[in-house]
Amino acid sequence: MVEITFLRYIHKNTVLHRMDARLKLAGMLVLSLAAGFASKWPHYAALFLVLLSAFLVARLPFKALLKDLKFFGLIIFLVLVVNAFKTPGAPFPYPGFPGFSIQGAVAGLRFAGRLIVIIMICTIMTGTTSLMTLKKALEWYLRPVPFVPEARIATMIGLTFMLIPLIFHNYREMMNAQKSRGLEGRKNPVRRIKFIVFPLLDRTLRRTEEIVYAMEARCYSEVRTRAVFQSKKSDWLLLGLCLAVFFFVIYRP
Amino acid sequence: MTILETQELTHVFPDGTVAIRDINLKVKAGEFIVLAGANGSGKTVLARHLNGLLQPTKGRVLLHGEPVSKNPAAARRKVGLVFQDPDSQFVGQTVAEDVAFGPENLNLPPAQVERLVKEALAAVGLSQLSMQHPFALSGGEKRKLAVAGILAMKPEIIIFDEPFTGLDYPGVIQVLEVILRLHQAGRTIIVITHELEKILAHAGRLIILYQGKMVEDGTVEEVISRSEKYGVRMPLRKGEKIESLTWLK
Repeated sequence: MVEITFLRYIHKNTVLHRMDARLKLAGMLVLSLAAGFASKWPHYAALFLVLLSAFLVARLPFKALLKDLKFFGLIIFLVLVVNAFKTPGAPFPYPGFPGFSIQGAVAGLRFAGRLIVIIMICTIMTGTTSLMTLKKALEWYLRPVPFVPEARIATMIGLTFMLIPLIFHNYREMMNAQKSRGLEGRKNPVRRIKFIVFPLLDRTLRRTEEIVYAMEARCYSEVRTRAVFQSKKSDWLLLGLCLAVFFFVIYRP
Repeated sequence: MTILETQELTHVFPDGTVAIRDINLKVKAGEFIVLAGANGSGKTVLARHLNGLLQPTKGRVLLHGEPVSKNPAAARRKVGLVFQDPDSQFVGQTVAEDVAFGPENLNLPPAQVERLVKEALAAVGLSQLSMQHPFALSGGEKRKLAVAGILAMKPEIIIFDEPFTGLDYPGVIQVLEVILRLHQAGRTIIVITHELEKILAHAGRLIILYQGKMVEDGTVEEVISRSEKYGVRMPLRKGEKIESLTWLK
């Protein structure tokens, strides 16, 4: 489990780790919105610059994270290729790619860029904020909203984030076990998927049941001790930086 | 004084499998009980009834004379259960955060939660690792963290479900020392295991479950010689004394 870094809290004593989780969450949401509105290369450059700086400041293990994100590499590649073929425009100068347009490739790169930005935001958020703190920050935001069971929603999101690395871990273990029993020898991809997906689903459901029992055994309740948040000047400055990137994306067409 | 009691406790799974049948058990304050049995004998199912995690098909569980089903939350606070697989017990991403989960569920003031966390971590010797990720701990440390998570809720009874499974020698010693310390501090201890040789020297009572039934209940000396009949390895050689089994130096 310990070798998986994606979506996992990595304890360090940095300004991002110490940042008020409410402001950090707000900052990350602002950056996610900025990613949605980004349309020009300078927008992406600004976003990548800020996020890469955040990675460095938070001292997150960049290489290990890249390794964990191999799976997303495939999705990003698919997004790029599908857009390149789907979007009409001037044909690609090299032969052998019928339907592949330059405009499509550019649109694909933009989509892929957005996806990478969102993945980076999630990784920074979860890498510098423990799930409990993230959950408490979410609860804090949802509390004034009427008819919203804030504790339940926060728990659901917290558990989802907790289960994702567990699923990755189980997948790796299962893949290795199946490989050691000659799975790679099977040519039919459907059968290969079947041998991985069903046991993985079964194991994940069993694990989830155990987590539920363990939470019940420790008196899980939606009426819990409320978190005490304290924000510093530096936290507001960091939020200000995120807002600056957001306005740069919105007002610089 | 009896603090925990089961009466005709029976649990049948939806597919008709009888997990436990007519279990009558009385636990006195301060006892140290080992609950043994082969795989599938119903040990874990019984443990999960003792703090109201499972509801019986027939019979009942009484805690201080009150049915557990009336107030399962109170029962879970008083009867702590340390799970077999500590990994599935962790909900926090740091050691301290995980220990705080129980007291926070009790809606205690933040200062009290912090105090309980510190006390629990000190009791199991994990204070230095409070900011570590639970999954980065060794096997023995993980078990100790699982115990701390329960201890922070100040239970009267602690049930350990297979506490030694998968542990190396130092891990077993670490966990054993914690269990004994808790018993010496006045807590009632129930250890579920089939690895009798690791714990029996310190227990006062041995109960054996077999195919969902409680087939033996008595002092260790009375019961131990019949354990192999029920699929539990007899850890003593001829002429050996129970005290000699201890893993502690």
